Amino acid sequence: MSLGLLLALLAWGTLVGLDLVSVPQMMIARPLVAGPIAGAMLGDVWTGLTLGVLFELFQYEVLPVGAARYPEYGPATVAAVSAAHAAAGTLGLGLGALVGLISGMAGGVSLHVVRRLNARAVRRATAALEAGDARVLVRLHTAAILRDAARAAVVTALGLGLALLARTYLAGTISARGVMLLDVAAVGSALAVGTAGTLRLVGRGPDLRWFAAGVVGGAAVAWLR
Amino acid sequence: MSAAPRARPAFGRSLLRLFTVQGSWNYERMQGVGMGVAEEPLLRDLRVAGNGAAYRAAVARGAHFFNAHPYLCGLAVGAAARAEHEGVPPEQVERLRTALCGPLGSLGDRLVWAGWLPFTSGLGLIGVALGLGFPAILGFLVVFNAGHVALRWWALRAGWTHGVRVAVALRQPVLQRATAVLGPAMAFVVGAALPLVAQYLSGGFLGWSRVALAAVAAGGFALLWWLRARLTGVRLGLALLAVATLAGWLWP
Repeated sequence: MSLGLLLALLAWGTLVGLDLVSVPQMMIARPLVAGPIAGAMLGDVWTGLTLGVLFELFQYEVLPVGAARYPEYGPATVAAVSAAHAAAGTLGLGLGALVGLISGMAGGVSLHVVRRLNARAVRRATAALEAGDARVLVRLHTAAILRDAARAAVVTALGLGLALLARTYLAGTISARGVMLLDVAAVGSALAVGTAGTLRLVGRGPDLRWFAAGVVGGAAVAWLR
Repeated sequence: MSAAPRARPAFGRSLLRLFTVQGSWNYERMQGVGMGVAEEPLLRDLRVAGNGAAYRAAVARGAHFFNAHPYLCGLAVGAAARAEHEGVPPEQVERLRTALCGPLGSLGDRLVWAGWLPFTSGLGLIGVALGLGFPAILGFLVVFNAGHVALRWWALRAGWTHGVRVAVALRQPVLQRATAVLGPAMAFVVGAALPLVAQYLSGGFLGWSRVALAAVAAGGFALLWWLRARLTGVRLGLALLAVATLAGWLWP
């Protein structure tokens, strides 16, 4: 992979990470968007779409309410696509998922760290804030956004580094059956997480009937195709 | 002392800043600093009117603790700025902001996080599973953000229009209807997406691996359901991948 391509992926992962919480929350942070665009950068849209769909299912478990702590799947999907790209086709899915899930966990931890750093910065500026100093207010806010951009860049770089390691040391050592087992674990867990997350969202009320109707309808379409 | 607001308040600048409202999210003031930044352009009239002290006091209040749904923060920004212009007592402005946190958080979570977002993302998943590829992704981004930007714009305008009586805006029939409709719509669409996505992702699996996939998905779901307090999706995924790696080495 060329340095230019690596930098492009790093820039995309940073934008995606910034979109999750800070700016502008237009949902490019969703794996469904982050994955295919990373795939297009690598000239491998199929892998991007597949891992985007896979991590979108993991994303259904996350409800970003208040101070909740959750994994960050946007930059993770970019790293996952990068890892899976080398092992073309279905073979790379499990490898990509492994890299993506580890990066997602790291992303979640990094969000917590940045929030604590932001709190410290706010505490330091309390006197100016209480005096209504608009310049300090804007500077504090801008610095926090830059901090989040740096965080997203570090998480993406970590993910891309993991992808490189996985490609170098894991890809050749696993048998064809082992690769298939990894793929089964990745897709199976994504389907389980997506279903459980959706059911939690739907709850036990009247919407459950709509969910059941949707499952029947979707299954019918899948059967007819 | 109150200052008459300009005929055209700086809504554009405030709206742009609202897109960054969570940029300085922290465990102390939560969205407070971002709220202050977004409200500040609407308060500049106070300074222009020669009332620098009122402007600074209002900016300081605007940056106090706040936590609600980010797309609906504009409602509180507009309402608080209007109240500051109308010379509402400071403690009442603080009470207004505090009172808005819960309803705006709850409404936004139901409307966006548990409604509009999974609904549009489910449509995107269906599109990809049916082979639409990039147009499905683009469709998701365009449709989701049409609702997103409209909601942010409406919230800011409604907050400014109603001021301290902003609760009226939250009782809008359109909002109530949207919340009522989006729940079942989201459930149906995501329900339909799941079997289609399962078919899409399992396309490369044949023979024993297809049976293993069904077993892993069903077993994983059962574990997540029963151990919901302890087991998260990321942990389940990593555990299954670790077991698969081990099995792959033992069974070459």
